[in-house]
Amino acid sequence: MGLMDVLLKYVRKNVSVKVALLLTPPLIFLAVWFYAPFLIVGLYSFDMINIYREITFTPSLVHYSRVLSWTGASGIFLRSLYFAGINVLLCLLLGYPVAYYISFKVKKYKDVYIILFIIPFWVSFLIRTYAMMGLLDERSFFNTILLSLAIIDSPIKIMYTDVAVILVMVYNYLVMMVLPLYANLEKLDKTLLEAASTLGAGPVRTFLKVTLPLSMPGIMAGFLLVFIPSVGEFVIPELVGGPSNYMVGNIIYEIFMGARHWWVGSALSMLFIAFILSLVIIYIRGVGERGLAI
Amino acid sequence: MSEVYSVELENVVKRFGSVVAVDHVNLKIRENEFFSLLGPSGCGKTTTLRIIAGLEEPDEGIVKLYGKDVTDIPTYKRNIGMVFQHLALFPHMNVFENIAFGLKMRKLPREEIKREVKRILEIVKLEGLENRRINQLSGGQQQRVALARALVINPEVLLLDEPLGALDLKIRQHMMVELKNIQKRVKTTFIYVTHDQTEAMTMSDRIAIMKDGRIQQVGAPLEVYYKPSNTFVASFIGEAVNLIEGEIKENGIVDTSLGVIYCSEQSAKGKVAVMIRPENVEIDEKIDGVDNLFKGIVQAAIFKGSYIEYRVDIQGITFIVHKHGEENLGKIYPPGATVEVGWKKNSSLIIPVQS
Repeated sequence: MGLMDVLLKYVRKNVSVKVALLLTPPLIFLAVWFYAPFLIVGLYSFDMINIYREITFTPSLVHYSRVLSWTGASGIFLRSLYFAGINVLLCLLLGYPVAYYISFKVKKYKDVYIILFIIPFWVSFLIRTYAMMGLLDERSFFNTILLSLAIIDSPIKIMYTDVAVILVMVYNYLVMMVLPLYANLEKLDKTLLEAASTLGAGPVRTFLKVTLPLSMPGIMAGFLLVFIPSVGEFVIPELVGGPSNYMVGNIIYEIFMGARHWWVGSALSMLFIAFILSLVIIYIRGVGERGLAI
Repeated sequence: MSEVYSVELENVVKRFGSVVAVDHVNLKIRENEFFSLLGPSGCGKTTTLRIIAGLEEPDEGIVKLYGKDVTDIPTYKRNIGMVFQHLALFPHMNVFENIAFGLKMRKLPREEIKREVKRILEIVKLEGLENRRINQLSGGQQQRVALARALVINPEVLLLDEPLGALDLKIRQHMMVELKNIQKRVKTTFIYVTHDQTEAMTMSDRIAIMKDGRIQQVGAPLEVYYKPSNTFVASFIGEAVNLIEGEIKENGIVDTSLGVIYCSEQSAKGKVAVMIRPENVEIDEKIDGVDNLFKGIVQAAIFKGSYIEYRVDIQGITFIVHKHGEENLGKIYPPGATVEVGWKKNSSLIIPVQS
């Protein structure tokens, strides 16, 4: 038996070695592309890298205090929350019926419905957004028709407003809500609904007492998948909004790329991450645990 | 004064595509009866039950609960209880909440709900498990929760869809006795769907035997066993049966390929079958005092515990004989032995051939 065989046998028998071997490549990848940059951002935020890109060991909170003393910060944070919150709510309100319908009412070719729903998302995010810009513009197809039919007398202005930002966000994130909800509702045992009806629950109460509570894990997954990326969104407000619709992501981008002040930009990023993380933890603790327990 | 029926089905038909799942079913189920729908899988028994529950809409016919036409009334407005094959307990609720669900839907006051749940938990013997989650219960306990949840609302009819199917034999046997006791205690009509004749025979007051969406026979367990209405029922009920086809020669005498067989009844005409239950047949070297006597050769003798099953070849037809009794167990006729097989004429019944 050669050395290779001995090694292979050892690995096969030893579960922890197996796990370690499986996890090493992704951990290396994450270390290089995520942990290291994140550490650098952290070092910048604590003023531990000077303008000559040298690491110094004199941490300071000066950049944090600059961010916190900036009176506009809370407004930007709130606006980010507001956009992401409205987005997640609309995605849920629009996505739940879609997932419910495909899962409960469609008998044949469910996959076709799901694929039809996913197809638009095979197109690049930027192209989709540019296409939406064409539809929201004052000289858009809709405005032209409505004007020529004399239904409106001046074009509807949507571009560069909150409505535009939210519309494009919902459009781009809806699929992230529908897929986990659909996966969850598909697993739901439909005889539970029949059982509820034999016990005297009509359609509304069956939904509220059985379907909805049992779809909490799906709602939660969809919520996190939509909320987290959309609260940090900066491309959509940049393209279809204006400076008055800027979110935290835009400000961070401006500080890094415009003002080139990596220290304050890093401090703002760290604060924002801490803020979102605490929100998510509160959310999972509150709404989540019941949902996750099933 | 006409009898009170808890459930009546009149000419009920249900089709799934080109398949007729329920084919002109007529049933009158008495009040507080333990009634079983028995048949092989795909015979339409579950569909019939779901039509009574309102979970399936019949294409034709009328469903009545206590004389009231409920054909167009949705499930949640019918006062029925149902125990599902896979129980369908709510996984996000504990035992108490599961059982209380129907009472909450009826908007009973909290105190009354507590009292009712306590009462039913005593009946199904689950006291003290109110706060358990469903996945912390054994299969038998889950069974009882499902039963309690369906019973606590005092339904006019309790529908049970093969509820014991998932349990192992010992618990199943125990639950059969228990179910029957509970039914006597709560005084409710039970309609029980099963493919297991032992379950149906053990618990039922009456059994409806179904095949291909049609009711073949409705009767008490003894009746369907000893007086099957056709060859399908005869072979479906009981462990084994001898069926010999032939033609009526004269009253009570059937001409078969074995020769003439003397029988007890004579109502039918033309092509019929003669049914002889294996336990009513004698087997010995020499038999006296029987009406029908044949010589045969033992093909196989299988020891089954309380009896011996013989397969005897009589002129090319395999005849099954069950020999009971301790005194016989020591003496087994080996394969190849020539024996006499005989029975009295009132042990052979003329029945119509199932078309």
